[in-house]
Amino acid sequence: MQKDGILMNKRPMSPYMLGPYYKFQITSLLSILNRLTGVFLSVITAPLLMWWLVSLASGAEAFARLSSWLSGFAGLLVIAASVFCLSFHLFAGIRHLIWDVGWMMEIPQVRLSGWLTVVASLLLTLLVVGAGL
Amino acid sequence: MSVENPIAKVRGMGSSGGGVSHWRSQRYSSLLLIPLSLWLLWLGVSIAGADFETVKSAMSQPFNSGMAIMLAVTMFYHTQLGLQVVIEDYVHIPALEVGLLLLVRVACLAAILISVIAALILVLGA
Repeated sequence: MQKDGILMNKRPMSPYMLGPYYKFQITSLLSILNRLTGVFLSVITAPLLMWWLVSLASGAEAFARLSSWLSGFAGLLVIAASVFCLSFHLFAGIRHLIWDVGWMMEIPQVRLSGWLTVVASLLLTLLVVGAGL
Repeated sequence: MSVENPIAKVRGMGSSGGGVSHWRSQRYSSLLLIPLSLWLLWLGVSIAGADFETVKSAMSQPFNSGMAIMLAVTMFYHTQLGLQVVIEDYVHIPALEVGLLLLVRVACLAAILISVIAALILVLGA
């Protein structure tokens, strides 16, 4: 690939073209946010859920240790971030499934569904975090 | 300029032929994850701040245990598929890429087995 000359090397590689080459807009912002929330869910939330289930199965002592950490500041922050990431990834995923059947593909509709995704995920996050407090 | 025939490059670097099944698996798992995620959020709200015995008895109910098992299997499968795409897109050092892909596969499979065993222990009361 590099042998083909300088032109190949100067091409902006994803995701680094987002800032300097493309204007940030709702479509590209939500696209990268869907990835970022997916990575957060993969690296933090999913392992935490497994750990939670394992400590519950291990007994009262292990469960108490995890619970006390989760009810601290760092734990609550991780829970709130997880709820937001799950809510966002859920609605952004539904948006993708709607596209997959061929609906809402016009640019104004894509922008509208983008803003709906933002509003819905923030509302669901507030609802869940508020109800859990 | 390279003197290599373009078809030789395609044979070496072209499509793997497995894209469609990956895409479908990702969509099917995401469909299943819609109700499972809503169940998880509901569970989180309903047991927030509860003590060990309460939470344990909730997760000993066959419904919750079954949902937890289905969530673990579907979620870690979807996680493997998603991280695979991210790694393939952004990691361009071949050895690191292959290593990370393998690590993600093994970790997700292990996570499924561990979660299912934990959920079974809770529902069967071992």
